[in-house]
Amino acid sequence: MNKEKSAGDPAIRDASPAEKLLHIANIQHFSVGDGDGIRTTVFFKGCNLHCPWCHNPETISPDETVLRYPGQTRTERCGRRMRAEEVLAELLEDRDYYEESGGGVTFSGGEVLLQADAAASLAQKLRAEGISLFVDTAGCVGYEAFERLNPYTDVYLYDFKTASEEDCARVVGGSLARIRDNLARLLADGKRVRVRIPLIPGFNTSDAASDAIIRELAALGVTAVELLPFHRMGSGKYEAMGLPYAYRDTEPLQKAEAGRIAARYARAFTVKTEG
Amino acid sequence: MKLSDALRAELAAAPRGTRCPEVFRAEGYRAHFGEPVALLRARGIETLFTKTPPHIYPSDRIAGSTAGLFCEPDETLRKASERLCAQIGGRSFITNRDHFAPDYDRILARGIPGLLADIDASLDAHREDAAACETLDAMRIALAAFRTMTEHYAEAADGLRGQPGYDAARLAFIAANCRAVAQHAPESFAEGLQLVWLCHTAFMLEDRYAMALGRLDQYLYPLYARDRASGALTREDAVELLENVFAKIPTTDVVNICVGGKNAAGVCEVNELSFCIVEAVRNCNAPGPNLSARITRDTPDEFLDACLASIGTGLGYPALMNDEVNIPALQRMGYAYEDVCGYCMVGCIENFLPGLQPPWSDGRFDAPRFFDYIFNRGVSAFNGSVGLDTGDPEALRDMPAFLRAFETQLSHGVAEYCTAFACQNSAIRQDFYTEPFLSCFCRDCIRRGKDINCGGSVYPSVHGAALMGVGTVADSLAAIERVVYEDHAATLSELRDALNADFEGYDALRERLLAAPKYGNNDDFVDKYAVWFLDYLSAEFDRFRTRDGGRIYVAMAANTSNIWAGETISATPDGRKRGKPLSDAASPTYGRDTRGATVTLNSVSKPDYTKAACGTVVNQKFSPSMFEGERRDKLRALVRTYFRRGGQEIQMNATSRAVLADAMEHPEQYPTLVVRVSGFSDYFVRLPRAVQLDILNRTQHE
Repeated sequence: MNKEKSAGDPAIRDASPAEKLLHIANIQHFSVGDGDGIRTTVFFKGCNLHCPWCHNPETISPDETVLRYPGQTRTERCGRRMRAEEVLAELLEDRDYYEESGGGVTFSGGEVLLQADAAASLAQKLRAEGISLFVDTAGCVGYEAFERLNPYTDVYLYDFKTASEEDCARVVGGSLARIRDNLARLLADGKRVRVRIPLIPGFNTSDAASDAIIRELAALGVTAVELLPFHRMGSGKYEAMGLPYAYRDTEPLQKAEAGRIAARYARAFTVKTEG
Repeated sequence: MKLSDALRAELAAAPRGTRCPEVFRAEGYRAHFGEPVALLRARGIETLFTKTPPHIYPSDRIAGSTAGLFCEPDETLRKASERLCAQIGGRSFITNRDHFAPDYDRILARGIPGLLADIDASLDAHREDAAACETLDAMRIALAAFRTMTEHYAEAADGLRGQPGYDAARLAFIAANCRAVAQHAPESFAEGLQLVWLCHTAFMLEDRYAMALGRLDQYLYPLYARDRASGALTREDAVELLENVFAKIPTTDVVNICVGGKNAAGVCEVNELSFCIVEAVRNCNAPGPNLSARITRDTPDEFLDACLASIGTGLGYPALMNDEVNIPALQRMGYAYEDVCGYCMVGCIENFLPGLQPPWSDGRFDAPRFFDYIFNRGVSAFNGSVGLDTGDPEALRDMPAFLRAFETQLSHGVAEYCTAFACQNSAIRQDFYTEPFLSCFCRDCIRRGKDINCGGSVYPSVHGAALMGVGTVADSLAAIERVVYEDHAATLSELRDALNADFEGYDALRERLLAAPKYGNNDDFVDKYAVWFLDYLSAEFDRFRTRDGGRIYVAMAANTSNIWAGETISATPDGRKRGKPLSDAASPTYGRDTRGATVTLNSVSKPDYTKAACGTVVNQKFSPSMFEGERRDKLRALVRTYFRRGGQEIQMNATSRAVLADAMEHPEQYPTLVVRVSGFSDYFVRLPRAVQLDILNRTQHE
């Protein structure tokens, strides 16, 4: 039988002091919604956007975030500075599951690419171990950040939330031009990219909004999209952080409505709806 | 309406009168007072089988029911019959009465007439041996009575023709099948299934509980394959026949059915009938048929998928059993490899060699109880029980010394357990309490001319000791190591005071204990104690033997006793409060495995389960969406990896917390909600509240 060492205690004492630490919000094992097979998702801390529907609000701030759940005495602190070797040891715990399922590791966030150097050093180690890496990004960074990660990334999960320059700037806090250009360059560089569109009621679910996104993506040569219908599973976190949640009273997208939108996208792309 | 739905409705109508098997049994006793006891018992079985009216439901295609036991007898006759049956007595669970998987292979091959001929041949061979002749005569009476019972079913089917609600074609089908099995070995799938179900019906008439159907997909397969090849049977028809049988399993019984598994050549034996059985159990959606699937390295993905889809309905069946662990585990018990490969389960999850050993017995060993004795010099301040005095706890200078003291306590507890079991198990005169009918379903009773419990079986009796609270024990030992011996944050005396006070006034100490590493997070600091737990206790129990020289082997299971045992156990060093449930079966304490399913299973697969030959229960809860589409592929990969790493068993709940919580609030709206409980499933709304809460609190993945 395969008996392995536990996490935490493998020899991790010999990393160079100059090594950049990763700022990690959370590491989620048996992650089944972030790519192929059984994956472990590393949530990076810190994001440069502020999407009001975000279901991981605790990952937005680059500083430690304190969560205080009602009825619980202990507080939860989100944000850990970790060495790449340390994170790697935890990711390797599930190697058998990756191999059996065709899975691996996903970097998500927050925005991974804001920590491109540290992420790349971890990604390099994963590559050396032969473990698949997906990187989930909102894409609103300089392309040089992608260039740091490109050699070690198997697939990018690339969020594309709107085709409106104005909405992107005002609601999300990002530059559509930059997101679009990065996507174009990734495709031009031959990277595998899965474009993922969160379906946010009232933001990008109207026919006009859908059609605009479809036009943008088609022009870039995208052939397939994944749709992520809105849910409000993250609402408890806002409460625990003492923040209002703009989408607290927004109903999850009905199956029929999601199906209708999916059919629209399906005219131009191969569509997969997560659920 | 589907036939199976119609049958369920007919079954739901309560039979009139009082259930009184004693009236039918006593009639035979009375007619044969003064005869040797083995014969007398056979005469009781004879009237029980031949006088109980056969009952056929309008929607039956395979007949066999105990509804005929309900009658309205003269009250004096009923009471006198009950007294007589009590006087003559019989075995109980702890004296090897039920929890048995019959040798259905042989009766299908030989038929009733063939078995009767075998008895006659053995009688001839044992001419000079009076005791053997008596035993064989008793078997002959019982088996001949069973044949008469099959004929009575045929006649009853004939007699019902023209009755309202009954269908002539179905009745003719039943009559023909019942008549056929009385006369020769079954020649079709329907005849084979009818014979097996009538055998099981006979066991139910005898009031046996948890009789397993065993490897139904293997012993019926030759007949199934023959009928399929000839075109006499469709797959859909087979499923309907199976459903017709499974629907009749009482919802209060636990009838284990085993599918899949590999043969002695190492080849996975999943076949089309295995799929039909999973489908029929799934369609039934009831707690009675307790389905177990033996999974091997090369079990086809499609079969595992069919299993997961069935589990995902919420039913929780089948439980998944790892052949790659169970087979070596049973080999350790000294059984021949070929026999081991034919293993199935009885009751919940208990491994059993069908038709090769006497009926099963088991008991529960509540390991977390023994901390109390270390701290309180052998006398529990909480529950009035007494263990060993292992001296002043302050003298336990380091962790190895503490562990040695705990081992001394456990060793004493194991000896206490085995003494109590031996006394109960041997409390009867074995040769006085014979089982003439059951013995016909166990090798080599007929050939040897010996009763199943008196040397007739190939292997001796086994007893299973279910080890409870691995999570509670491992967490407790780790907490002591961390808090007392590493951090020196408390002395053992202070810990004792805290435990005896149920942590009242010791909040800070309890916080420290709770913060120590917990089982289920792939941390060797604590997981090493789970490994030790099984190693140590399996070896301790192996020092003892049953009355006839069989093994006492262990399970990592608790049924739901972790809750009731917990009620009587003082606070434990893991921070568990007095009276709270122990950790369930082989699972970590609910809510303490916080890092995800893969990590939980990495911990849980560390103990060497080839030392748990009886079996293991690992409950895991997943959201219903995990059982569909692409996510099911991931779940399948999770199971395969866990098994490759040495996990022995996994069973899954697929009902969301929201639904369970709502069912607790509004039970009237959930009369048919079936959930996985432990080694079995049950209707959620009829479970005690404490069990409902325990299920609700299981850590849910995704």
